[in-house]
Amino acid sequence: MNTAAVVPFVESMRSAAAALRLPGSGLAWLDATRREAMQAFVAHGLPATRNELWKYTTVRGLAQRQYAPRDDKAANRPVDEALFPPEAMDGPRAVFVNGVFRSDLSRLDRLPDGVGLQSLSSALDAEPEPLRFLLGAPKDAGDDGFTLLNRALWADGVVLRVAAGVHVRGPLHVVHVGVAADAATAWHLRSLIELGDDARLAIVEHHVGEAAAGHLANLVCNIKLHEQAHLDWVGIQRAGADATLLRCTDIQLHDDATLDFHALELGGKLARHEIRVDLAGARSRFESRGAFVLHQRQHADTELLVTHRGRDTFSHASWRGVADDRARGVVHGRILVLPGADGADGGFYNKNLLLSPSAEIDTRPALEIYADEVRANHGATVGQLDENVLFYLRSRGIPLEMARRILVRAFCAVTLERIEPPSLREHCLALLVEQLREAST
Amino acid sequence: MATQSSEVQAALSRRYEAGFVTDIESLSLPPGLDEDTIRALSAIKEEPEWMTEWRLSAYRHWLTMRQPDWAHVRLAPIDFQAISYYSAPKNKPKSLDEVDPKLLETYEKLGVPLHERAKLAGVAVDAVFDSVSVATTAREQLAKVGVIFCSMSEAIREHGELVRQYLGSVVPQGDNFFAALNSAVFSDGSFVFIPKGVRCPMELSTYFRINAGHTGQFERTLIIAEEDAVVSYLEGCTAPMRDDNQLHAAVVELVALERASIKYSTVQNWYPGDENGKGGIYNFVTKRGECRGDDSRITWTQVETGSAITWKYPSCVLRGDRSVGEFHSVALTHHYQQADTGTKMIHVGRDTKSKIVAKGISAGRSQNSYRGLVKVEKGAVNARNHTRCDSILIGKKCGSHTYPYVEVKNPTAIVEHEATTSKISDDQLFYCRSRGIGEEDAVSMIVDGFCKQVFRELPMEFAVEAKKLLEVSLEGAIG
Amino acid sequence: MLKIENLHARIAGTEILKGLSLEVNAGEVHALMGPNGAGKSTLGNVLSGRPGYEVTEGTVTFDGANLLGMEPEERAAAGMFLAFQYPVEIPGVNNTYFLRAALNAQRKARGEDELDSMQFLKLVRGKVKEMGMPAELLNRAVNEGFSGGEKKRNEVFQMALLQPRLAILDETDSGLDIDALKQVADGVNALRSPERAFLVITHYQRLLDYIVPDFVHVLDGGRIVESGEARLALELEAHGYAWVRDRTPAGAGA
Repeated sequence: MNTAAVVPFVESMRSAAAALRLPGSGLAWLDATRREAMQAFVAHGLPATRNELWKYTTVRGLAQRQYAPRDDKAANRPVDEALFPPEAMDGPRAVFVNGVFRSDLSRLDRLPDGVGLQSLSSALDAEPEPLRFLLGAPKDAGDDGFTLLNRALWADGVVLRVAAGVHVRGPLHVVHVGVAADAATAWHLRSLIELGDDARLAIVEHHVGEAAAGHLANLVCNIKLHEQAHLDWVGIQRAGADATLLRCTDIQLHDDATLDFHALELGGKLARHEIRVDLAGARSRFESRGAFVLHQRQHADTELLVTHRGRDTFSHASWRGVADDRARGVVHGRILVLPGADGADGGFYNKNLLLSPSAEIDTRPALEIYADEVRANHGATVGQLDENVLFYLRSRGIPLEMARRILVRAFCAVTLERIEPPSLREHCLALLVEQLREAST
Repeated sequence: MATQSSEVQAALSRRYEAGFVTDIESLSLPPGLDEDTIRALSAIKEEPEWMTEWRLSAYRHWLTMRQPDWAHVRLAPIDFQAISYYSAPKNKPKSLDEVDPKLLETYEKLGVPLHERAKLAGVAVDAVFDSVSVATTAREQLAKVGVIFCSMSEAIREHGELVRQYLGSVVPQGDNFFAALNSAVFSDGSFVFIPKGVRCPMELSTYFRINAGHTGQFERTLIIAEEDAVVSYLEGCTAPMRDDNQLHAAVVELVALERASIKYSTVQNWYPGDENGKGGIYNFVTKRGECRGDDSRITWTQVETGSAITWKYPSCVLRGDRSVGEFHSVALTHHYQQADTGTKMIHVGRDTKSKIVAKGISAGRSQNSYRGLVKVEKGAVNARNHTRCDSILIGKKCGSHTYPYVEVKNPTAIVEHEATTSKISDDQLFYCRSRGIGEEDAVSMIVDGFCKQVFRELPMEFAVEAKKLLEVSLEGAIG
Repeated sequence: MLKIENLHARIAGTEILKGLSLEVNAGEVHALMGPNGAGKSTLGNVLSGRPGYEVTEGTVTFDGANLLGMEPEERAAAGMFLAFQYPVEIPGVNNTYFLRAALNAQRKARGEDELDSMQFLKLVRGKVKEMGMPAELLNRAVNEGFSGGEKKRNEVFQMALLQPRLAILDETDSGLDIDALKQVADGVNALRSPERAFLVITHYQRLLDYIVPDFVHVLDGGRIVESGEARLALELEAHGYAWVRDRTPAGAGA
């Protein structure tokens, strides 16, 4: 390789590939897949802003950085209890620290019958063949630089399966913790969640971290919901202030499957989440609500890509964002209705508050419609708090800053009000309030 | 639905009424493009040296650029060396009375009021036939109040300083691939100058017509409204039916100084190709207006029914404080047409406002996209935008797409975008039919109602034409 | 308590108040009447500090302090309350939360202890009962989905809870039917006390049948043109505002 156009980030990933002994090495099909994916990544490079899905998120700065391939001490690092979400303290949970699965912190005993939850590396050790379909593809049309990298370098993840007809009570928690290490580290996790026919499950995914842990987490998750399955998903992202978090969640719904999706984006320096929802089955339904509250120089990008493929499918998305200081919030909500997807009903609604002269909001709803028996709507607004409402609060004695906080909280809270159980909802609201308090100090 | 459609299966297939060829002797440059072509073109047009140089520098820039491929469009490759860059009727008329009667007949067929009818209608007309402007009416009347309305070629000769000051000041030579090509080879177009304080006493209008085969039409229009000036300008376009694709790459620049108002309306009916997607015009147009002065206003209104492929985003740069930009659009596509159109509203000044209303109708196997940008720059305090995009689909094989981009960098701005897409309402259709209205008529009635908000923005005689055009374009759409 | 001297104020460049003077003492109820456009609501807005109003001349003191130099929330903490002509809806902000935030912010500003949620709930529930408000009010968002009458009653309810020393009622009677009007008046009358003053802004005499004022002022053209006792309101009702104009030579003022 010539040194002329060396990108430090790409170089550090290439050397990671050479240095790491990754799970499943020795399996010929997996080794070949990883090798091919790495080649594709090197050829492809990091996503550029001319890629429409990365239009408002530049990784030019990231390209100049290098990351350690792993945190060797991750298996033993103590984790501050305060970082841990209280919600996850009593339920079953899988915990990763700096990208390494921690059985000591996880609680996978006493899982209900019909629920299988293990780390991807141990699942692969036990029985590689069923995972070949998931892990054996070196690339896909929808890939970008980071998903290719994930195919090449995934080191672990979660495999969660719920058998047909099993209704799991109470949520399972997946917790990703980032703590300070000897060097800024990059990790790549790959997860698989599969719900059998008529299975029901609730998952809460947490991202927490220490402020000074400038890691890069690159997570890919595949979710499959079989007929009539129902999944409640809540993602609570409060990664450390220096963290880079890149997530791609790919969800496929079969006939009559339903997905309720909530996201609260509060942390990280650069946090991007690409959520691809494929309403493949007839009458499948997807409802999502999300909010981001950003301050300082935070950058958050949500790419919500919904494909209506089956007949009589439904999607509704309501997302809200707040950007203060020098923060930048990016939202892209695309509804694609394929030919033949008659009866599709899709909606995407995005409202934003811009609170500072140096902040920026870029919102981009899109409709791509190739069928005619459809209803598709979208709306997007960028504005600020209503002066009249602000005055009303002040005239009742509430100081300006507090009045602002009350209104911003109310603006975002709308997206959280359907989270169950109520204790989890309260937890999310409390985090929101905490973030607003930090923002105004 | 199946029974509904079978009833109208026998509906007329669509006819393109402007699809005749006029047999007129013309003088054309041989196909091909290099610096010599440009020099020859410039020489034929007796242009001053600076103009020739301006063209050449645009050409050199163009050579460094690549044809864009980003839009949602299927496009046969264009051979820029196979196009003739100049075609003019051989006997160049000096006045309207000397205009070739066949040419006048052509405009007659198109319904362009060139003669006395123009005066009656209160419209001044400039007609561009292939590459040159053949007649401009009502000049004297306009000259009395100081309005200049003439062909671009004449403006370059007679009003060189004005042209030189404003040409390329809104759409720079290298703005995009087709604008650069236009800057190098533009053949003619209209020039309008409304001096300070003058309210133009009549509607100004230009009809564009591509007649010769293998020609491209690259017209260039420049409209300048000085302080407190007011003007309304209309543009209509047609072309004969031909099996190959012809290129139309125009550039339109509008400049509004303080308190000036420019209203620019287009009815675009270039040949769209036949029902199998053969032939038709490639309409790649750059239209941009700059509200340069405080309190100025630019309004774009367009009815797009023609062309095989349209890329067109009439835009407003709202530089002056309190300036206002508006965009009203109806885009109808049928058969294999592809339209990718919308607008850009760039808010730079304080208290600037923009409004966007876009209506899309897709039928047949066509693809119809709205693509728009609303950008609020840091200094655009209290900027306001409201955007409304509605699309209807007629039939199962067409596509309708909406791609708005909203970028806001000022915390006092309020930007609102809403869009809907649905098929033409069965309930409305049924209601009309239960009252005895045939399905085709019901469809035109509903589509007309759907577009009303935009038609209202057109001058009266254009609104009638636009409505008729929509009806003709929709023939055979139900099936 | 409240002393307004030669107040001139404008909004968006237009002068609305043109030299208004008025003094209100503790325990008094003043009614301010006048035709549309006289400047009645402008006065309420200027006194409570709504942004957008510019005072060009004159002074306003509240217990001797310069009112015009205070932020809206400082005025509230000092004991001023404006019942809005058009109370705003605040979706997503729960009434209980809102009221507690307001009350505690005021208490804090005055150096009093804040109420914890138990204490507050007890207080607010008591008030709900006392004022005959529907109990579910507390769980709803502020004014969201309220009818015009409910909104006005809610303003009076807030006043009862926050216990201001000077309450300004800005056309609280407008748009109310007779039953709602009585309820609002009962709420106000229950709050009358020697420590508390009211400035009742209204277009019609009707409200003053139920809230009997100590003084009536007629505002026209941005200044007070006539002052008197409760009887003045009845005369106004009988003769109309033109009657006052005829009696008052141009340029004369209170």
